[in-house]
Amino acid sequence: MSQADSQKKGDILFVGIDLGTSRSSISASNGTREWTESFVGWPKDFISQKILGKAVLFGADALEHRLSLDLCRPLEHGVIKEGIEKSEDAVKEIIRHLIDLAKPASGQKIHAVVGVPADTLKVNKLAIRRAVTEFVQSLLVVSEPFAVAYSLDLLNNALVIDIGAGTTDFCIMHGTIPSEEDQKTILAAGDYIDDQLYSYLAEKYPNSRFNKNMVRQFKEEFSFVREIPGDMQVEIPVGGKPVMHDIKNEVKRACESILPAIVETTTEMIARFDPEFQIKIKNNIVLAGGGSLIRGLREYLQDSLKEYGPCRVTSVEDPLFAGSDGALKLALDMPSKYWEQL
Amino acid sequence: MIPLFPRKKELRVRQAILRGVYEENLRIIGRKRVALDRPRPFFLKKLFLSLMLTLIAVLIHGNRLTSSSVPELAGFSLLPSKTLHQPAQDPAAPADYKTLISNPDYPVSRIFGLGIKTIMIDPGHGGSDSGTSGKMGTKEKDITLDIAQRLKARLEKHGRFTVLLTRDRDVAVPLNRRVEMAIANKADLFISIHLNYLPAKPINIIETYYFGPTTDEKALKLAEQENAGSQYGPSDFKKIIANIGDTLKLQESRTFASSIQKTLYQNIRREVGNVYDFGVKRAPFVVLLGVNVPSVLAEVSCLSNREEEMKLHTESHRENISHYLEAGIFDYINKGEARYEPSRLAEKR
Repeated sequence: MSQADSQKKGDILFVGIDLGTSRSSISASNGTREWTESFVGWPKDFISQKILGKAVLFGADALEHRLSLDLCRPLEHGVIKEGIEKSEDAVKEIIRHLIDLAKPASGQKIHAVVGVPADTLKVNKLAIRRAVTEFVQSLLVVSEPFAVAYSLDLLNNALVIDIGAGTTDFCIMHGTIPSEEDQKTILAAGDYIDDQLYSYLAEKYPNSRFNKNMVRQFKEEFSFVREIPGDMQVEIPVGGKPVMHDIKNEVKRACESILPAIVETTTEMIARFDPEFQIKIKNNIVLAGGGSLIRGLREYLQDSLKEYGPCRVTSVEDPLFAGSDGALKLALDMPSKYWEQL
Repeated sequence: MIPLFPRKKELRVRQAILRGVYEENLRIIGRKRVALDRPRPFFLKKLFLSLMLTLIAVLIHGNRLTSSSVPELAGFSLLPSKTLHQPAQDPAAPADYKTLISNPDYPVSRIFGLGIKTIMIDPGHGGSDSGTSGKMGTKEKDITLDIAQRLKARLEKHGRFTVLLTRDRDVAVPLNRRVEMAIANKADLFISIHLNYLPAKPINIIETYYFGPTTDEKALKLAEQENAGSQYGPSDFKKIIANIGDTLKLQESRTFASSIQKTLYQNIRREVGNVYDFGVKRAPFVVLLGVNVPSVLAEVSCLSNREEEMKLHTESHRENISHYLEAGIFDYINKGEARYEPSRLAEKR
């Protein structure tokens, strides 16, 4: 039976999943597109469980009740931070939750393509397969930037820069599945900006009470590089009383802290290729991931690279779903004979 | 006119990419064996190793003739390699040293009141040097880095040590740079983490090395592979070898290697059952040569064994290996005092 026939009959639900460090999303062949923050929390004890009324909480819900939970962000920096026993279970819970959100019909088979951070893929391939296999009938695992490239039809002479939370992944496409040499991962990414912003604010406002979660929200609301007009005022408690704070300079400094590493790695990746292809790649650079939403970043990168010749940098339209849409596209394009053998 | 050919070309590219994704996933689940290792330029390494061994032999011989008052060098006589957990005794050492060193209750570091403050962990290979690769595509450099990072996190939790890595990401670091880092940071212990590969035998083995000449063919071959990233020249070797007549380092490295091997082997055998103990050995690894503190190279697993390669993909197994290495380090540090034993496996599977 061809893949198109299977879809028509609704035997199989094809899903693309982007298992991100900060946010995970799912795109399904039934048209569903959903996302969750990649946090999983289990009630710390019997009392917490009774109050929360759930055995496991996800995303924003988990963050809101974090004091009552054992909280896990399983793919931080591509390795497990919170504790080995929890991490694989946390990945499993996120997948279960995402597939529930995709609302498969009763008895419908699921064929999934899962995109994960490139570094995670190196040593956790089987762990990720195991975490997902329970919920799907057939599965393919790919790297996130590759899934983004596929979603945009950037199959040849293109560079995808996926600025995520834990890592920034670079992936050069040249008409084949990218090898390890075509991909590079650096830690200058969203979490790094959070750490920088937290320390800058702690230094400037030593008496104000704020935490990493608040700082992350400030970044997501205000992030920018270079110059933009207007003030950036946020409310932070001082001695229990809400006080407005100006954070513009600190946000700018923190966001700009990742730029040198990104520019350096971009030029390094491009320089590996034959000069003829370098020109083509420089005119086909795409920013993806949550970091692509930083205002002024695309222009900064384009201007920085112009000293090496003409250059064109664009951003994906929907960074939250670019990875899962690409994974879904891969799932739909994949010949059925390949699924059968997996 | 409809551009038929470009469309065809794009389709071909897309088909090739889809097939690539499929084949990569087959490799992950071990359904298809693909040889990923590129042949190494064997003659160059052979030449390099021969040069190194000749230098060692000449310098040891020279020092024996000119400096009978340096008993430490006797430790580098060409004794057969040891394959037991017990450290080899040094027959040529003077009686007082011999007594001192052979007493397991009084390690030299304790006699001289030397405390361990800084531990340098060296994840083998990195960057363009992948080390060995398993049949599922697992690269030695990725696993050694992961285990090293876990070991670092474990040791730091004790709050007693400064723990450093020679690399914290996938980057090529020349062997001489790793040695320089250990010296510059005044490391008190040095452990280099590697994975073994036995093309002819599908078994899983564990072995631990400390620096010294050997007559063991396999140990020489392994040293040749692991030394491939060295950027030392012969003149550097001469200087370094002149400094290695250090009984403290030799004896302590033996004891350290013995602790690591014992703890690793006993616990991994308990965990997975099917593993062979290849013991503590001497071999001329460059990365151990220039470090003048207790230093070992642990081959903690074997990528040529299919089951072991699959297990290395589980976080629990990598965490357990780091746990046993931690236990081995404490076993060495606490010799004669309370022993540190791994109280539990990270996760029973």
